[in-house]
Amino acid sequence: MKISFTLNGKKAEVETSTNQTLLDLLRDDLGVKSVKKGCEAGECGACTVLLDGKPVTSCLILAPQVENRHVTTVEGLVEDELMGALREAFMEDGAIQCGFCTPGVLLSAYALLKENPKPTELEVKKSIEGNICRCTGYFKIIEAVMDAAERADT
Amino acid sequence: MEYDNILENLLGRSQFLVVGKSVVRADALDKALGRAKFTADYIQKGTIVVKVVRSTQPHARIKRLDVDGALRTPGVHAVLTASDVPGLNQIGYAIPDQPFLNVEKVHYIGDPIALVCADDEWSAMEGVDAVVIDYDPLPANFTIDETLKKDAIHIHESGNVALTSRIRKGDVEKGFSEAEMVVEETYETPFQEHMYIEPDAALAIPEGREKVTVIGAMQSPFLVREKVAHVLGWSLNQVRVIQAFTGGAFGGKDDTGPLVCAKAVLAAVKLGRPAALVFDREEVAAYTPKRFPARIRYRFGADSDGVFKAAEVDITLDCGAYANRAPFWLWRQTVHAAGPYEVPSIHVDGRAVYTNKVFGGSFRGFGDLAMHFAVETQIDRLAAKLGMDPIDVRLKNVLKVGKRTTSDQLLDHSVGIEKCIRGVVEASDWSHRRESRRIGVKVRGVGIGCAHHGISTSRGAPDWSAASLILNEDGTLTYRTTICELGQGTPFGHAKIVSEILGAPIDSIRIEIPDTDTMPNARPTHGSRGLTLGGTAAADAALKLRQHMVKVAAGLLECDEGSIEMRDGRAYRKEDPSTGIEFKELAQELYVRGVSPAAYGFFVPPRRFFDPNTGLGVSYPAYTFAATVAEVEVDVETGQVEVVKIWPAMDVGKAIDPLMIEGQIQGAISQGIGFALMEDLRLENGKVLNPNFTDYVVPSSLDTPEVAETIIVEEPYKHSAFGAKGVGEPAIISIVPAITNAIYHATGISFNTVPITAERLYTVLKRSEQ
Amino acid sequence: MKPIPNFILHRPETLEEALKLLSELEGSRPIAGGTDLLIGLREGDCKAKHLVDLGLAKELRYIREDEGMIRIGSTTTLAQVVESRLINAKAPVLSEASSLVGSVQIRNLATIGGNLCNASPGADTAPPLLVLGAEVTIASRNGSKSMTLSELFAGPNRAKLASGELLTEIYFPVTPAGSGASFQKLGRRKGCTLSLINAAAYLEMNGEACREARVAFGACAPTPMRVLDAEVLLRGVKLDIKAIEDVSSACYGLVQPSTRAHARASEEYRREMSCVLMRRALTEAWQRARRNMR
Repeated sequence: MKISFTLNGKKAEVETSTNQTLLDLLRDDLGVKSVKKGCEAGECGACTVLLDGKPVTSCLILAPQVENRHVTTVEGLVEDELMGALREAFMEDGAIQCGFCTPGVLLSAYALLKENPKPTELEVKKSIEGNICRCTGYFKIIEAVMDAAERADT
Repeated sequence: MEYDNILENLLGRSQFLVVGKSVVRADALDKALGRAKFTADYIQKGTIVVKVVRSTQPHARIKRLDVDGALRTPGVHAVLTASDVPGLNQIGYAIPDQPFLNVEKVHYIGDPIALVCADDEWSAMEGVDAVVIDYDPLPANFTIDETLKKDAIHIHESGNVALTSRIRKGDVEKGFSEAEMVVEETYETPFQEHMYIEPDAALAIPEGREKVTVIGAMQSPFLVREKVAHVLGWSLNQVRVIQAFTGGAFGGKDDTGPLVCAKAVLAAVKLGRPAALVFDREEVAAYTPKRFPARIRYRFGADSDGVFKAAEVDITLDCGAYANRAPFWLWRQTVHAAGPYEVPSIHVDGRAVYTNKVFGGSFRGFGDLAMHFAVETQIDRLAAKLGMDPIDVRLKNVLKVGKRTTSDQLLDHSVGIEKCIRGVVEASDWSHRRESRRIGVKVRGVGIGCAHHGISTSRGAPDWSAASLILNEDGTLTYRTTICELGQGTPFGHAKIVSEILGAPIDSIRIEIPDTDTMPNARPTHGSRGLTLGGTAAADAALKLRQHMVKVAAGLLECDEGSIEMRDGRAYRKEDPSTGIEFKELAQELYVRGVSPAAYGFFVPPRRFFDPNTGLGVSYPAYTFAATVAEVEVDVETGQVEVVKIWPAMDVGKAIDPLMIEGQIQGAISQGIGFALMEDLRLENGKVLNPNFTDYVVPSSLDTPEVAETIIVEEPYKHSAFGAKGVGEPAIISIVPAITNAIYHATGISFNTVPITAERLYTVLKRSEQ
Repeated sequence: MKPIPNFILHRPETLEEALKLLSELEGSRPIAGGTDLLIGLREGDCKAKHLVDLGLAKELRYIREDEGMIRIGSTTTLAQVVESRLINAKAPVLSEASSLVGSVQIRNLATIGGNLCNASPGADTAPPLLVLGAEVTIASRNGSKSMTLSELFAGPNRAKLASGELLTEIYFPVTPAGSGASFQKLGRRKGCTLSLINAAAYLEMNGEACREARVAFGACAPTPMRVLDAEVLLRGVKLDIKAIEDVSSACYGLVQPSTRAHARASEEYRREMSCVLMRRALTEAWQRARRNMR
């Protein structure tokens, strides 16, 4: 079946099947590799994308369910100012180690800061509760999101 | 060569340009943009999907293996078994006890038997389901006690004891006779699963009929090459191994790398087309090698002043189905048995035994984690009996320059543990926190954990590393190492060393991803050796290249070589900085004049020797030391433990990049918190019951404690670039006992096992009240 | 993970269409957020030939108050419940509990109806709704009917829904002045965790006397459960610390935790913790009730 949706601001018309997840559609058929497969159970968050601006785990979404909706990945936010502030903060604050969880974490953090430009540390932790990182222990990720909030402010 | 004084002696500088400063790592941007390619990201459409047919029995003979049904499944191209292995069907790491594909017998639930190669996942899974295997079940040994019984069935022909270890130092009888206080306990540490977020993966691509390329997640490309070539029966130079960016490894992918790559390669070579094997989370959690469970009986004696007199340690390592890393794990555990303290008399006896479970393998900290959990808990118990502060007992016995380790190795320099201890005691306001604090149902406690961890491969195996460096015609640099980027940033650390030595801007140096076809062997990325050994090979290459560049520059600038300074991509005269030449021009001059623009770096640390009878000798070239204080808060009504704050300290030799060091320490702390409080792999009759993130609980962001700034102590190691020692592992070793000792302080309960889940703590607290 | 098997996906745009499909198509099941269902499909627990996606039926997604009732459409996401001004103002116990389900990503997909129909014994939204006295509307081609939330929970992971039936609405009365409620959860880590046990308490105070009390547990029985025998100890009583303590202790014998060998927590621990959580829930509910007097 054919579906049509907006991917990173551009219209995408693509062939899929009812039992293909959004994750597999993005990676296998649309070449969007920033979205990662870590568990296929919605537990690790490495497959996080923004669906109409909200973070969701794409491994739990059937591709046809995004018909006429907006899907955003980090590829679509390269020029975005807020994402730029996040990227810089992550890079400079040492929040990136192996990088596998990074795109998912950035999207969760991006969605948080878009809605809540001055979050508390607890709010930052809550926003990435569904993104498991085994490398950093989260310390520098939390710092970087708080840092990005300040950078975006100025 | 004394590499620790490169700055003053060889570069003639007093200030670092880039070493010791926190710099944005080179791969960070690509990772933030989602453009860094991990193994699965290389897989194209049309690649054969490989799935593994695995044993459902913990111990059985294979009576019949029928692949016909699988072959007839639509979409299935081949089903490969042991009879399809052209070379050696043996892939054991050190002991040849592990068939690549099992055909006669299986030894654990998950043991690989066949490979289904199909068009897509769906067909592959159908194919797996269609394979018929008739087992002849055998009695299985699931525990150490079961497998050591006199009449226990032999899991391998050689018996159930894979190997042994020993230390005989001093006179323990005399030592114990002088000990006023003796504490004897038995500790049991469980499996730990790495749960790296990127599942294991390999993509193999045949290049003609006699060469294959495999891209995979791994830690030692040349180990993978060796194992793959053996399975194929090919020469080493017919196999090209490339390490893609790897999404977390922590030791695990050092073991799975060869196993997964060899399977993908066999499929690709047999079918003549690209084939990929990607594990799903269940496979990772249930079937990949894990931290070895261990049982340690520890008898420790001290005099009334708290001075350690003797120790008797008995270690039983539970290997699971195959020995794998056991020889190294047990040996390392054995020579660290006294902890970072001097114990004049010590006997250690160790053995590694087979059981019918998933097998043990590398994991951050190796056997040192279990051993320090035992030792550090013993010390706190001793301290309590002696009525002494646990810090004082430690400081009385801590290793210093001139003292000797468990294996009687004399430490003649680079021992920073005392500074680490004193640092965290002060930073955490230890004595104040040691006063009892209870508010309502919450009780706080503070504890310390100390660690030492030998750098490099164990068992005195000859260790060395190599790297290559090329100055391109435009003045940029290409650096090559097969030390793998696993998240820890080690290759970037090498680049910083190169940058420091050459005075080349860090972003003019490109680090190529490991490729056995084009790079010298840096040897494995494990044992915290990536920077100490790998980085020193980088230094060697850079120093050699520097010589060539300085020579040409001196000629062009008409001065002595000693007057040349290299900095910011420019060579100039020290006395007249305005007279200089950009690297771009200098490079061209090298090319034009036929002066080699490339260098091969090689480094071998001092040889180590030990006596196999006594276990005594030089075990490791250097040791990294760590001390961590943890404050916990216990909810006595529920048994829940929250880690409130952590104060870490580490003697890193020389901090090449403080930000990356902190990142490593913090990540290790998180894994240690998981191990101490929540990670619990449950098995029943050899079957893993919770192979998923839902029920194998690792810390989430909300479990993150406060962390103090890491106290970085620098006691440089003479024989490595700038004196750097490895940092990846000691932090996990010290955090676990810091937490368990803090719980001891808070509740008076000292645990001999982990994880200390809420239910376990609650149950013990309740019992102790009655 | 096993791949998702094949099925036919239907995406009706109205409730009427959805009900028609569910009644006509044999082996059909509704799908809303899919956070439980997709895993069930992979593991073979769900073998539906037809899935009826409720995502486009906007009429099922709402939170409103009318005539003293708060009504929540069944495909309202948990995130919407968490962010709802109405729920935060008038039934904060529900938004608090919802915020403890999974993670942001899960809550953006999971629906309250789906959470209830999945009928996990430990569903976090269940105890608060039980103590709020929630009822549900079940619609089918033949019309609609109501049942209490307790009745919906037929057994572990089994909702009392015949084929062709759909949960369309959850509703409960607006709570009066002088009432307060609390939700307590005990998990295995602080973030994104299943409940080992959870509890909710609701109190309506009349001065110092307790006019109405409702208490409920999750993960302590085959389904989320009200504990009527505990409630009766509170109703009409002058509430004080001792009364709360007595009721909490009584919970030990009133819950029926799993005795399975590999349950996530032992029976004994859950019994003990039922007392602790109930005490905490009642204490907080009482505090809120007193703050809420007018």
